[in-house]
Amino acid sequence: MTEIDAYVDGVRQALSGLSAEVRDELLEDLPEHLAEVRAEGSGTLVERLGTPEAYAAELRATAGLVGDFPEPPKPRYPELIEARDNILEILRKVDVRVGPVIGYEKAGDFLRLLRPAWWVARGYLAAMAIAFLLQANRGNMGLLPRIGDSDLVALVLLAGCVTLSIILARRSPDLTRTPRYALRAGTAFLIIFALAGFQTADSHARNENGGANYVDYSGSNPYSNISDVFVYDGQGRLVNDARLFDQEGNPIRLGDNHCDDPITGESGRSVHLGYPYCPVNAPFTDPNTRTPQPSASTSASATPTATPTPTAPSSPAVSPSPSR
Amino acid sequence: MDTTQLLKGVLDLAVLAVLRDEDGYGYDILRRLRAAGIEEVGDASVYGTLRRLFSGGLLNTYVVPSDEGPHRKYYGLNAAGRAELQRSGKVWHGFASTMDDLLRERGAA
Repeated sequence: MTEIDAYVDGVRQALSGLSAEVRDELLEDLPEHLAEVRAEGSGTLVERLGTPEAYAAELRATAGLVGDFPEPPKPRYPELIEARDNILEILRKVDVRVGPVIGYEKAGDFLRLLRPAWWVARGYLAAMAIAFLLQANRGNMGLLPRIGDSDLVALVLLAGCVTLSIILARRSPDLTRTPRYALRAGTAFLIIFALAGFQTADSHARNENGGANYVDYSGSNPYSNISDVFVYDGQGRLVNDARLFDQEGNPIRLGDNHCDDPITGESGRSVHLGYPYCPVNAPFTDPNTRTPQPSASTSASATPTATPTPTAPSSPAVSPSPSR
Repeated sequence: MDTTQLLKGVLDLAVLAVLRDEDGYGYDILRRLRAAGIEEVGDASVYGTLRRLFSGGLLNTYVVPSDEGPHRKYYGLNAAGRAELQRSGKVWHGFASTMDDLLRERGAA
């Protein structure tokens, strides 16, 4: 369907409240006129004449059809339409104001230059979305659309999607109503997908920086369910405020420094700087400093997450609280 | 003042006027209006106006086949159209000179 046919079609649909006879009469000159406009200069018909809906409204108004013929169906949500118009008006003002600041007549002029960049980005997002839906191990995808951990598949998929996105962009002015709405819905989905993906990638990046050598074994990490670490010395004494470091001297972070108060049951930030965060939860009582209590053994078995030190990463040396 | 608002009232007269000497097809009429200085006129408004003037019995139409382009629907004034042009023209002149006088008296012109 050519641009002219599409435009005529749009006007015809906007005039659907009129009888077929009147509508055909009104549309009689339109293809010829559009051909003239098209031949006269550059720019799409919508840029030159406004939307088909606006054209139809003007045609209908000036042709004196109000009253003679059934009124067009009332818009279903007038408040929504008014709100939309208000927003568009504000956007238009912002467009004109911001433009000169960045050296363009309108901000929209600049944004239009970025369109091809968006087409490429859209292709990438589509590839990521496809890979995400097909990939079983979602945490492991990285920044390429890998399916089954294959880089080659990822690159082929990426190239294909980007190419398709660009082709689609070139053809979109000729699309009829339904495919056009489908395209917009797909784009909205991709934007939401992108925001979610960005959020995930961002929190990953932050964790890596904040936790120095913190490695996320997501899923396969045997330490992921550890909430606290208890260090015992050779005599079986509990070491307080211990710090853990690996061979590079990077702190090892395990667990989270929140404790449940054994009396009130409230959860609060631990007052201890090192391990254990919550000494009261120690799985083994210290024979030297505490008097053995008959309840000690039962309380030990009641804390499933607490595991004695040997489960800490094997390579890092467990060094009891360095002087800091 | 917004010219498009003024134009709403006089577009009929403007279209009749550009057809006084020579028949024309839609795009041609639009071009004549713009050449005459009525640049704000919308494409759809001209076609809508032509349609209304035609159904009001002021215009006749005929199709002229064209070799290189599409067939064109020409519009021309009939007797009723000419009478209307004359009558509306008088109304306009009367109105315009009233406005002129008004603006001159108040020293605004």
